[in-house]
Amino acid sequence: MTAIAALLSSSIVQTVLVGAAILGAISGMLGAFAVLRRQSLLGDALSHAALPGVCLGFLIAGGRDLGSVMAGAFATGALAALIMMLIVRRTTLKTDAALGIVLSVFFAVGIVLLTVIQSEGGSGSLGLMTFLFGQAAAILRSDLWIMGGIGLAALMLVLALWKEFKLVSFDADFARAQGFPVTVLEAGLTVMVALAIVVGLQLVGVVLMVALLIAPAAAARQWTNSLGGMVLLSALIGAASGAGGALVSATTRGLATGPVVVLIATGIVVVSLLVAPGRGLLWQAAATRQARARISDGRVLATLQGFARMHDDAGYPSERGMLQVALGAKPPAARLASLESRGLIRSVMHPPETTPHWELTTAGHTEAAALSGQPGDTAKGGTE
Amino acid sequence: MMRDDTLHEPDQALHVEDLTVTYGANPVLWDIDLDVPPGVMCAIVGPNGAGKSTLIKAALGLVRPVAGHVRFLGRPIGQMRGQIGYVPQRHSVDWDFPTTARDVVEMGLYRHLGWLRRPGKAEHARALAALAEVGMQDYADRQISQLSGGQQQRVFIARALVQDAPILILDEPMAGVDASTEAIIIALLKKLRDAGRTIIVVHHDLTTVQSYFDWLVMLNVRIIAQGPVSETYSADNLRAAYGRHLAMIAVPAEEPAP
Ligand SMILES: Nc1ncnc2c1ncn2[C@@H]1O[C@H](COP(=O)(O)OP(=O)(O)O)[C@@H](O)[C@H]1O
Ligand SMILES: [Mg+2]
Repeated sequence: MTAIAALLSSSIVQTVLVGAAILGAISGMLGAFAVLRRQSLLGDALSHAALPGVCLGFLIAGGRDLGSVMAGAFATGALAALIMMLIVRRTTLKTDAALGIVLSVFFAVGIVLLTVIQSEGGSGSLGLMTFLFGQAAAILRSDLWIMGGIGLAALMLVLALWKEFKLVSFDADFARAQGFPVTVLEAGLTVMVALAIVVGLQLVGVVLMVALLIAPAAAARQWTNSLGGMVLLSALIGAASGAGGALVSATTRGLATGPVVVLIATGIVVVSLLVAPGRGLLWQAAATRQARARISDGRVLATLQGFARMHDDAGYPSERGMLQVALGAKPPAARLASLESRGLIRSVMHPPETTPHWELTTAGHTEAAALSGQPGDTAKGGTE
Repeated sequence: MMRDDTLHEPDQALHVEDLTVTYGANPVLWDIDLDVPPGVMCAIVGPNGAGKSTLIKAALGLVRPVAGHVRFLGRPIGQMRGQIGYVPQRHSVDWDFPTTARDVVEMGLYRHLGWLRRPGKAEHARALAALAEVGMQDYADRQISQLSGGQQQRVFIARALVQDAPILILDEPMAGVDASTEAIIIALLKKLRDAGRTIIVVHHDLTTVQSYFDWLVMLNVRIIAQGPVSETYSADNLRAAYGRHLAMIAVPAEEPAP
């Protein structure tokens, strides 16, 4: 514990933590819009396309200067986005193919440039490698101002244009029909995503950057039903993943930050997908189990009798799928087996179908008639 | 540029002239001339891919035509924004978007609110009133993903209603909704028509054209026929619009009762 306290009081570690949290928050906030607008893959292409720009910025500035590296990353990212747009408009290739081509070509150019710079050696050229997988420890105190400034600007813009961004993300056609400058608004959102990528590069690296964009938003969506809640939560999850990843990688020699950040964010996604109230898989499984537990013997019998009456056939064979629809959940096999052993229903085959069917026995019809009128035991109950 | 204040065909709610739209090289709409007078309830019918949605989008300025012009009450669309309620096809949006029914309806007021202002009490009240008009007042705070298809459609209609626009354009509002929702929607549209609004509906069910509408446009890339339903709903026109498929569409095969 005291070791951690000592670590946290170090000003270098503080800088790294604050920087990582800011970067994570920006990515989380803008990633929420990117995910809702189905632009996750564009984010992946943009971040890979930033690598040649990082190298060019390094070459021009003659060193690892954050400003010029970011400008270079932004420039090649924008060029890649433009080329993708042209490919989609001018050729028969679809968006995913255009994304794949542009992503790999730009990344290849970036790797070549990176190798050339390294073979020429020179001070700090090793630092460039950190842009592949990210290195939070490389964040300087002076970088915080740039990151904070960009974060604040993005926040102000999102707040000022909140309802316009919401409308464009939900229904761009309607927004255009209302006379909103949809192209400008969409371009604004895309440029901000590109900015988030550019500033996030040195934390997570070009290869894994897209995860910091998508994962916090995907996790946040599970827990909230409002756009405001989703954007806020996504920013918080992004900040927590960034800071957590920075802390772990700073205390482990040689461990890149990006993979740790991504693992933390993905862990939050997995937990959210499983347990979030309402949308989580475990939650839904529990709800299904409760629905099944509520299916009483009487309801099964009444439903079978209902089907028999509907078809005017006392021995009408009902398929399990039909029972499931009428009862609102699959009747438990044990319940059916117990009804069968009591001689109330009979399992039958109904060729050519190979699925199990059930029909009421005479005793079953008597029992169902005796039970009918009992509250809650109607055939139609439980569908909603 | 000076604003052009001369009106062109101001007696028509919608006036379309020489309109041609292409996607790539293929014309999707070819030389469309169309007039819809004010105060009618107009159906636009035609087979799948006839260009019905494209016609609406071109009229609203959402796709750029290669030729022709469009006027609403004599004015170009740029001067009529906010006076036309638009209900897009329901499947054009992602209903898992994190928002509520009332929030969607308030989107119809964003333009009227202007930049930087957020919806307040007045907007909440107007949205609730619009939801009540489509019988959805009890679902105002419901997540839109938890609504049925028919309920989602009614929320979309409420979003157009809340603008109080004199012209309403709806793209297949009856597609995939149950019979009771369809009855609610039609009763509402007829009420609005009787109050003097112009209602233009892309409609897919030929069997109900005569009972629902008083004006008809038949489209299949070109205009096949247009005018009062009583004059245009004829076997010849239907055959021209739907070709060989007509038998399938107009006289649905009797299904054996279950
Ligand atoms: N964005 C698009 N790009 C290319 N083709 C399109 C696009 N939208 C529609 N089309 C084509 O234009 C034709 C008309 O489409 P649409 O107006 O949606 O028809 P409808 O609404 O009558 O079913 C169809 O053949 C469709 O495939
Ligand atoms: Mg259509």
